Amino acid sequence: MHVRSHTIGPVTSYAEVRPTQRTPFARYRHSLWLLTKRDLRVRYSTNALGYFWSILDPLLMAAIYYFVFVFIFHRGSVGEQPYIVFLLSALLPWMWFNGTISDCTRAYMREAKLIRSTTIPRTIWVNRIVLSKGIEFVAALPVLAIFAIVFGARVNIDAIYFPLAIVLQAILSVGVGMIVAPLVVFFRDLERAVKLILRMLFYASPIIYGIEAVPESVRHLTIFNPLTGILSLYRAAFFPGELDWKAVIVAAISSVILLAIGMWVFARTQRAVLKEI
Amino acid sequence: MADAAVIDVVDAGIRFKRNRRARRSFKDLFSSRRRRSRPDEFWALRHVDFSVERGEAIGVVGRNGQGKSTLLKLVAGVVISDEGKVNVHDGVAPLIEITGGFVDDLTVRDNVYLTAGLHGMSRRQIDDRFDEIIEFAEIGEFLDTPYKHLSSGMKVRIAFSVIARLEEPIILVDEVLAVGDKGFREKCYRRIEELLAGGRTLFFVSHNEKDLRRFCKRGLYLDKGELVLDGPIDEILTRYNADYGS
Repeated sequence: MHVRSHTIGPVTSYAEVRPTQRTPFARYRHSLWLLTKRDLRVRYSTNALGYFWSILDPLLMAAIYYFVFVFIFHRGSVGEQPYIVFLLSALLPWMWFNGTISDCTRAYMREAKLIRSTTIPRTIWVNRIVLSKGIEFVAALPVLAIFAIVFGARVNIDAIYFPLAIVLQAILSVGVGMIVAPLVVFFRDLERAVKLILRMLFYASPIIYGIEAVPESVRHLTIFNPLTGILSLYRAAFFPGELDWKAVIVAAISSVILLAIGMWVFARTQRAVLKEI
Repeated sequence: MADAAVIDVVDAGIRFKRNRRARRSFKDLFSSRRRRSRPDEFWALRHVDFSVERGEAIGVVGRNGQGKSTLLKLVAGVVISDEGKVNVHDGVAPLIEITGGFVDDLTVRDNVYLTAGLHGMSRRQIDDRFDEIIEFAEIGEFLDTPYKHLSSGMKVRIAFSVIARLEEPIILVDEVLAVGDKGFREKCYRRIEELLAGGRTLFFVSHNEKDLRRFCKRGLYLDKGELVLDGPIDEILTRYNADYGS
């Protein structure tokens, strides 16, 4: 049955409506992609420097640490040579993690209007942040490659673990994000607490230094930081000595546990979150 | 299937905190939804029971704060009931917070693709309907203007025409149409009538008796969070007017 009008287009009848429906999974994927694209487009269309900004931040930080450790302290022992490649190979993944978790504190609040008007499974509000920040991370990898070439860092066979590191980090980020995002809705102070914890975690993780630089007496503690294992996997691409399988296994187990906790927290709080926003 | 219910609401209830700043604890957050109500909470809706068949047009009547919008949100699935069940067996086009998906910094064109996509339309479907959406909203010259530079009337127009083009069998209309000029409102109403003629199911919240009578055959009368009366719209309005004068 068609009803026609000159002001508006034809109305499809009920029978025609059905076939256009897609499976929930396809719809979720489609929405995730749309939101991720939106994030990137907003970021790059409103800034003249666009892509350059997303690599400027890690580059500037790398420059500062390089300056401090290599020129001021003349310390060669904090990491392996070339230090700039050593630094960037952990700093870029850290930027992904840091950006994701701090954005997750606002995952619900920033999109409140949209969440109140759509029924897409709410995990999308965390997953899209992990994905868009992840894409920025991958887009920044050529910078690492350029520095590796310029400073003569050699890529070895352990580079095959790079994708594994990305997968582990994505699991970890989704898990932590799903714990943080709903809780911040109820406890606003948590937003600041998370920022503090992230800053501490930056120095507590082997980013500006290597695991070897940690005194033997406390080294067994650093292994419980899942980032230790994940960062060692990334670094192994250039510095095979950094690969620490024990830390990697701990990282894998704790990431999966955190994901399970995150899913539980997320599901349990959803009803209350939707009322609150 | 012709008579199958598309919306089933069984003993549904939802409660909110009276005081948003009320003390909260981790224990509260994770406690079971079956727990007893606390003194600082109130039931916005409780023991609501009804079902809707395909193609029905239902008007929801009640004073402010009696749970009309909450009922609409429950059906839209944007809040979840604490008690009972709300089963919606078909896709929903919610004309609630219609401008919610729009992003200030993106152009009108990008926004149309984004919002329609988030509501489940594929790129090809949007391509097919894009011209109609723009024509309906009468903002053809502003296609590449950032959304934030539109007037508030234009914002509502484009948002309405996107949601009203969704190919969903159930339409929920909150009082969004109170905005916009008379001409556009009439156009929106004609659109809703077309959708109804096309076999859609309508859920309509309004304070305007004329609009309610125009679209709806059946009414739900909500008072103090309870469904007081479910019947033909004329009967509902008579009862409502008797209770509160008009």
